[in-house]
Amino acid sequence: MSKLYARRRARNFILMSLSIGATVVGLGWLVLVLGALLWNGFTSLSLQVFTEMTPPPGSAGGLLNPIVGSLIMTGLAVAIGTPVGILAGTYMAEYGRYAKISMVVRFINDILLSAPSIVVGLFVYEVVVRPMGHFSGLAGAVALAIIVVPVVVRTTEDMLMLVPKELREAATALGVPRAYVIAHVAYRAARAGIITGILLAVARISGETAPLLFTSLNNQFFSADLNAPMPSLPVVIFQFAMSPYQDWQNLAWAGALIITFAVLALSIAARALASRNIQ
Amino acid sequence: MTAMHETRKSTGVAVPPPHMHAPVEAGTELEEKVSVRHVDFFYGDNRALKDISVPLYARMVTAFIGPSGCGKSTLLRTLNRIYDLYPNQRAEGEVLLDGKNILSPKQDLNLLRARIGMVFQKPTPFPMSIYENIAFGVRLYERLGKSDLDLRVEQGLRRAALWDEVKDQLSANGLSLSGGQQQRLCIARTVAVKPEVILLDEPCSALDPISTAKIEELIDELKDDYTIAIVTHNMQQAARVSDFTAFMYLGELAEFGTTSKMFTAPSDRRTQDYITGRFG
Repeated sequence: MSKLYARRRARNFILMSLSIGATVVGLGWLVLVLGALLWNGFTSLSLQVFTEMTPPPGSAGGLLNPIVGSLIMTGLAVAIGTPVGILAGTYMAEYGRYAKISMVVRFINDILLSAPSIVVGLFVYEVVVRPMGHFSGLAGAVALAIIVVPVVVRTTEDMLMLVPKELREAATALGVPRAYVIAHVAYRAARAGIITGILLAVARISGETAPLLFTSLNNQFFSADLNAPMPSLPVVIFQFAMSPYQDWQNLAWAGALIITFAVLALSIAARALASRNIQ
Repeated sequence: MTAMHETRKSTGVAVPPPHMHAPVEAGTELEEKVSVRHVDFFYGDNRALKDISVPLYARMVTAFIGPSGCGKSTLLRTLNRIYDLYPNQRAEGEVLLDGKNILSPKQDLNLLRARIGMVFQKPTPFPMSIYENIAFGVRLYERLGKSDLDLRVEQGLRRAALWDEVKDQLSANGLSLSGGQQQRLCIARTVAVKPEVILLDEPCSALDPISTAKIEELIDELKDDYTIAIVTHNMQQAARVSDFTAFMYLGELAEFGTTSKMFTAPSDRRTQDYITGRFG
């Protein structure tokens, strides 16, 4: 064995050890976080969590009102943000593919995509909450919708860009008008990708706390009124976890577990859809 | 390579390929379905077609041959104005379809493309069922009842010699078919909207010899009703399927004539060199 080869082997060993070490450190924390979450979450989880309202300190209760509030605001945000995002993405990929304005919009969209969510919350506070004079579920949904839009714009554009130009040409060559080419051929080819984008946007907003603190605030009681403050899981977790009361802290763990599993389920669904698209 | 070169050179005249298409008889009435007149085409500043004038005769097959990049496909893409999808691409001159200039800005492009169908090099089934692939285009221009539409789909598939292979799986995804079947599906789809002219842009270049033979047979049948233009790199194919051949070189039309004359006694030196395989 030559000296050169021995040195190469030693280098290989060092680099491999470093790589494995880094992986263990990175994954280790994740395992610890998930382990703590699972342990504390499952011990706090019961049927009560899904059927009862948030309790005052010291008494039993559940998370029904924040769960419903989160579902309402997330649903509304997706309902507002998805059409806007898909239409804007469609413009950039189809009608305005060669237009300068698309480049500008893409640039701004990328900034919005990475904007801190607390800034979005403050913005909505200024334009919705202050004029209305109070916090509301509607303001919360608007803030979340603003986070949804850039994600959906980006994935829609990317997925439509991946549709081969031959497919578009083939449809156009049949005498199919542009809107039909987009609706019946391009969307169909890009459908799984676009749905994946929407699911990822839902996963992203379902854990957002900062934009809701300034907009929907919180509510001790059940409320489906969009014109009133609305509870949500992330904000309740924030409030309960910071409290000195053990019951509240346990409920916060349960809420964290629920969100984590919901996001995990969405991610798996998104991955399944995406892999089906490739076939 | 050099040896082959020498023997070919010594014969002087191109040897006609074995399966030569029956020549157009003298005295056949020729009707100009499409007339390309002094057409120039530009990709940005790059002039890809130079003053092309060529006719497409009704119910005849015209083959366009020439080395890669000579403008064959570009010319085809001018005829249905598919180039209009892209900015920076423009055509100048006149293309008359039944005497009307289709390059005019007033031309309705969707109607034009319904009259001049096109099949591309790569099979491009739409991401939908076999049935829908064909019904999609038909529905846009005709209001048909379910049974009439079924019939049109069947006719289209029969014309493309695909019916027997897919009649039991019409709801299957078009993408599940083999390459040759996909290409015939694309032809069926084009035929089903009842165009007058069919443009074929290297329709067999991605296919095996059996699928190629099927498509060539199909072209022969379709020519009874349609005016056909085909771009091909395969000289034998041009000789087999076409009545007229246009040889293009560096964006110019070098020679145009009946296929039998082009392959036996070309008048242009470049045509002869290309057909005999001296370049290209």
